[in-house]
Amino acid sequence: MSGSAEKPLLEVEGLTVSFSTPDGVVSAVQGVSFAIGRGRTLALVGESGSGKTVTAYSILRLIQPPGRITGGRILLRSARAGDIELADLGEEDELLYRVRGGLVSMIFQEPMTALSPVHTVGSQIAEAILLHQKRTAKEARELTIEMLGKVGMPQPSRCFDQFPHELSGGMRQRVVIAMALVCKPELLIADEPTTALDVTIQAQILGLIKTLQRELGCAVLLITHDFGVVAQMADDVAVMHRGIVVESGDVRSMLKTPQHAYTRSLLDALPSRRRPA
Amino acid sequence: MTGGTEGMDGGPLLSVRGLTKHFPVMSRGFRRSVVATVKAVDDVSFDLAAGETLGLVGESGSGKTTTARCILRAIDPTAGSVMFRLPDGRTVDLVKLTAGELKPVRQHAQMVFQDPVSSLNPRMTVGDIVGEPLVIHRLARGEELTRRVADMLARVGLQPEHSRRYPHAFSGGQRQRIGIARALIMKPSLIVCDEATSALDVSVQAQVLDLLKELQREFRLTYLFVAHNLDVVRNFCDRVAVMRKGRIVELAPTARIFAAPQHAYTKVLLSAVPSPDPDERMNFNVGDELAKLDAADQS
Repeated sequence: MSGSAEKPLLEVEGLTVSFSTPDGVVSAVQGVSFAIGRGRTLALVGESGSGKTVTAYSILRLIQPPGRITGGRILLRSARAGDIELADLGEEDELLYRVRGGLVSMIFQEPMTALSPVHTVGSQIAEAILLHQKRTAKEARELTIEMLGKVGMPQPSRCFDQFPHELSGGMRQRVVIAMALVCKPELLIADEPTTALDVTIQAQILGLIKTLQRELGCAVLLITHDFGVVAQMADDVAVMHRGIVVESGDVRSMLKTPQHAYTRSLLDALPSRRRPA
Repeated sequence: MTGGTEGMDGGPLLSVRGLTKHFPVMSRGFRRSVVATVKAVDDVSFDLAAGETLGLVGESGSGKTTTARCILRAIDPTAGSVMFRLPDGRTVDLVKLTAGELKPVRQHAQMVFQDPVSSLNPRMTVGDIVGEPLVIHRLARGEELTRRVADMLARVGLQPEHSRRYPHAFSGGQRQRIGIARALIMKPSLIVCDEATSALDVSVQAQVLDLLKELQREFRLTYLFVAHNLDVVRNFCDRVAVMRKGRIVELAPTARIFAAPQHAYTKVLLSAVPSPDPDERMNFNVGDELAKLDAADQS
């Protein structure tokens, strides 16, 4: 029982994020704490406005003014770069650039927000490789094509030269996943990765995330409002409501025997749990 | 509440037969010619009894929205008939009506849209939005208009004083209530809900679905409920039609569709739904199974 292997990859403690508005300071996230173990999947569940996306953005330090991290710590125990106190890093810190897209990467709900419409799919993925790894352009191209194959793009070498608008929503999300995972991050943040997709596409994308997670051994922070996705994907769950984690624990006990009234009310609102009116 | 069987005696409220919508695919260049057709809706037929809720489910591109729009003549179908029974007992074919004949009929068939942001004019007050159908059809004006708008807003769970505000001041769930009020103020018999709750959080979605159910009982409404969320359909609809590639592949009572799906596609679709019970594993492998179905279509 020794060493850092036992300690979680990411520890968030007492995170508070505030936004100053003309009507005063609003804390979107108030003292949120959770931890994610290496290779584990934590689902952050809540309704819109609960602060789950703000929490995720804080980890990558993507909170823009008037928002600000006003308290707490975010500790990433990177195997490659040592312990990093993310909340304390300066905006221009070299380490922050290494974290973003290298050690921690992110998938967004709407793939078009993550993709540039005027660059080819391949060049966008290769850019991530060239930024984070010492590779030649040719190597980057080969790696990209290999990654596109891994995420299930038919004809990966042809896809390299296509533009995002030529692809369907599901295919775009595969490209975003390829871009996020090509640098083998230790933590993947997936913000509602399948909300915009059909169930059949959702199933394939979720399956893909699971497979690649196992292959790379990365941890996943999954942000979602869908308890179905939670039940099928997560090891642990944290339920957020109005900027606070109201309940957290392992997925089975949380879904089978929720303790907090808010968690129960969310589960009761599920169509499949409601008796026909 | 007694069931709503009185409506059955006059036959179905809506009877769709062979509904088809083909879109031409044009070639590129200066002299554009038709090189192919997309069969967005391909020979769709079903009946809808008064007071019933029929779910129309399928993936994006399956033709469910196009079907709904063809029925309401938001777009003109290529072929088929849509027999619609009016409150006075007459039955008309919506496909054959001219624009002028269609207008008085439209008040009996209304639509609630998916996106509560884009379906409400940001420059109109909520009162004007909800009252506009009455003005267009010249059914009410002045004080009566104001009163009916206030009544309808109260009925969908909003306050009468909300009528002076603009849509941006409302949450997603409230905006959807405004859309429902606008549809209901015409006292329609048929409401087509096109993904009406898809954009909402689960708890808000549950409230809007409850509201739709209550209104259905009160006004004896018939719903055609277009949705991709199978969980919602399962608890809201009496019968479900599953669409794939423009066709209805299976139509059955909801309980039967979910307990014993007959068509291979329905089975794959249902297996892809993530269950909130961690002990019920979902099928992550639907891609291969769908590919097999596609291959079977080709041969």
